[in-house]
Amino acid sequence: MAPRSCALCQKAKAMLKRPKTGQQICRDCFFYVFETEVHNTITEAQLFNPGDRVAIGASGGKDSTVLAYVMKTLNERYQYGLELFLLSIDEGITGYRDDSLETVKRNQEQYNMPLKILSYDELYGWTMDAIVSQVGRKNNCTFCGVFRRQALDRGAAMLNVDHIVTGHNADDIAETVLMNIMRGDIARLGRCTSICTQGEDTIRRSKPFKYAYEKEIVMYAYFKKLDYFSTECIYSPDAYRGHARAFLKDLEAARPSAIIDIIHSGEAFEIKEEVKATQKVQQTCQRCGYMSSNPLCKACTLLEGLERGMANSGITDRARKKLDAGGPAPDNIRTIPFFSRMNSGGNPAIAVEQPS
Amino acid sequence: MSACDNPNVEKDALMQRRQKFDGKTKICVRCKENTGNVVIRYSVYCKSCFFPLVQTRFRKSLEPSINPVPDGPRKKALKAAGSLVIGLSGGTSSTAMLDLVAKSYFAPKAESDGKLKGGKDHPRNSDKGVWKGKAGVCYVEVCGAFPGERDRTDEIRSVVGSYSNPNFEFIPLRLEDSFDSNWWKEVGGDLSSSAAALGLDMTDEDLRLVNSSPELAPLQALRTYLTSLPTQTAFYSVIQTLIRLLLLHTSASRHASHLLLGTSLTSLSVNLISGIAQGSGYQVPEEAKEEWRPRPDRGMPVRVIRPLRDVGMKECAIWDWWCNLKIVGEPRSLYGGGKNSIGALTRDFIFGLESDYPATVSTVARTCAKLVPKEGSDGICALCERPAQQGVQAWKARISIRSYQEARSSVSGNTRPPHLTEEEIVNLTKASLEAEPTPDSPISLTPLLCYACHTSLTSRSSRGTAALLANGQALNQVPLPLWVRSTADAAISAHVHEKEISVTRTIKMSRDEMEKEISAFLLPEE
Repeated sequence: MAPRSCALCQKAKAMLKRPKTGQQICRDCFFYVFETEVHNTITEAQLFNPGDRVAIGASGGKDSTVLAYVMKTLNERYQYGLELFLLSIDEGITGYRDDSLETVKRNQEQYNMPLKILSYDELYGWTMDAIVSQVGRKNNCTFCGVFRRQALDRGAAMLNVDHIVTGHNADDIAETVLMNIMRGDIARLGRCTSICTQGEDTIRRSKPFKYAYEKEIVMYAYFKKLDYFSTECIYSPDAYRGHARAFLKDLEAARPSAIIDIIHSGEAFEIKEEVKATQKVQQTCQRCGYMSSNPLCKACTLLEGLERGMANSGITDRARKKLDAGGPAPDNIRTIPFFSRMNSGGNPAIAVEQPS
Repeated sequence: MSACDNPNVEKDALMQRRQKFDGKTKICVRCKENTGNVVIRYSVYCKSCFFPLVQTRFRKSLEPSINPVPDGPRKKALKAAGSLVIGLSGGTSSTAMLDLVAKSYFAPKAESDGKLKGGKDHPRNSDKGVWKGKAGVCYVEVCGAFPGERDRTDEIRSVVGSYSNPNFEFIPLRLEDSFDSNWWKEVGGDLSSSAAALGLDMTDEDLRLVNSSPELAPLQALRTYLTSLPTQTAFYSVIQTLIRLLLLHTSASRHASHLLLGTSLTSLSVNLISGIAQGSGYQVPEEAKEEWRPRPDRGMPVRVIRPLRDVGMKECAIWDWWCNLKIVGEPRSLYGGGKNSIGALTRDFIFGLESDYPATVSTVARTCAKLVPKEGSDGICALCERPAQQGVQAWKARISIRSYQEARSSVSGNTRPPHLTEEEIVNLTKASLEAEPTPDSPISLTPLLCYACHTSLTSRSSRGTAALLANGQALNQVPLPLWVRSTADAAISAHVHEKEISVTRTIKMSRDEMEKEISAFLLPEE
């Protein structure tokens, strides 16, 4: 059979079959449409303003490695005028982050972007190793997930940036839509498809890869020869969202557009007004000042449990009651440091590693 | 529950498996006297309490929607605006529903001495029914889509005939009626000769309509249409749409105000998740309850109610069993497709959940009941006749670039594909532009479709099409269901009229063309 020519440029030889559309296209057209779709996502949602300081949440994995590369490319091609930073979180799991943090450090050199690595130890006084030694292997993901989200926000405040971008891809979002429906988590279902969320600390978080297929991100890294580490957490390998992920992969195999179709569905509906009215109003954590839907934010609740030796109190109601029965929290309980963003541009509140 | 534990390592990590019931007592939770016979969602019920339990849920889902003003006071009377049509597939849930309807609304109300007071013609006893006229039971035979499947019409007829008291009228339909002009005329549909000849070019991604479609017998037309679909997912979801529209048009022609479908809680959850996975999030509320309006002058709106939407499939099966009802059963192939269709995958997934985590199934339905579509409807989809969202084509073009012509606003100048020259990209966008419809050439079906139906007709899979077309049937002349032809024909007339008013279009000029226009004024280069 004669080699097929690219369905897009009709000039070069088709090199790959695009997972998202099934079209057979050439490598250059793939790079171009992948990048342009991310650009369309960014411009349609008006994510950035010229001069914005933007932190890229970088883990050294495929999504964030490709995100850093694409953000740099688009920033130059379309003259967004952004000041880009890399922000990494070190959870403190021996042997897990070491290699991927090396990747991030190399990206810092290659892309000439300042890097900040913020550790759980620095922020919470606990590494994940220490947490697991207290709570065991079950439920430790709850700690890691809550702590990581807050760490990114706090790290961004330290860098004095306007915006954090993360490498969440279309597969992640489609999975979240399904999972929130099955768990009945109406509040999260309402916001999980929004490209940009904003807390009261004015730092916006967004997902430029919202419509990018995981397979295409890997394909992009492969053809661009970007190296990344695919590391599974040693405490819970490939654990997150077991049921929903397996189901989604089956759906994708049956019809590849399923991922984007689920996201489209998620964007097409919203929560009824009368249901919204019953939802909790956002407030500020009494202890650390972070946004929260309860008097204490989730990170402070979990941290208090750890500090008082009753780690499960942040997870089950029964353990929480037991903790409350033990009296109020001592005055000298550890408080998570709060970094407030400066109102106008300027230097970061902390020193960042500059590329040499 | 913690979502993050590892299901591979720890079997019960995702959700703690609860015991089927607390195990402390086997006494019925309702009457607290009898020994229980059945466990429903962790609670034990005895046989005599089971019937009122199911019947109460059934009535609670149906009765608020019977009177013309929904959710109004209904203490005095239930009086529907029109007649009743019941959809019966012969499966577990619809068989139970038919029985529940017969027992709840059509059972004779005899006085204590067994005689009607004042005789059967006394005004007190006449017109006592909730619905006007005779109730119809409508069955759609699908064996036309599955060669080798047996025809079950007669079996269903005998099931309907077994109810002597309500004396339902049996209305047998066939899936291929969607392509039968006699049926379309019977239900009051109009079809001009231009509409009758409309077909679809399935080889074209733009879904262009062709007006020289060959006249095929209904069954052959149905098979051509189904086999032209690009995926198994589309095959099964299109069949569901055809069944729904056949029932709706038939209901409208009988002046029905209500069409009852036997969707159980379990099936509702399957439909919701499967619909969301096929892009019909905008139509989520319609899955549970919808009000369908036939085209003007073709009857009153039909409310589609699923009165078993709070009753699980297991309870329906128990109802059938304890009432000795005959289950004809739905053809197995209707849920086939195995790993290749989203509907079948979702069904397996939800059925698996129901046996282990029954609460999840109702959570799906309860969560979806809290959703409403976002603002902005673009009218009604020509295929499924449900509300269609605005701007879906622009959305699709933005997030998956399928041609440079679609993306022409962002592919020119300095931001064009770096491996293409300015001339090349101009030619690529121009080539597609020239293919745009002119007043003489047919228009595309695309703008008349909702997101999910458009996806069904265009989204491909590496696993290929459902089946091969029989000899002599071309993919570029695929027949369409009659209601689609009727809608599309009206749209074409409107389109041609519009074209007469506005005939301008914008094409980016290439440097060659510019040069040609001014060549007379250019001095030869030295």
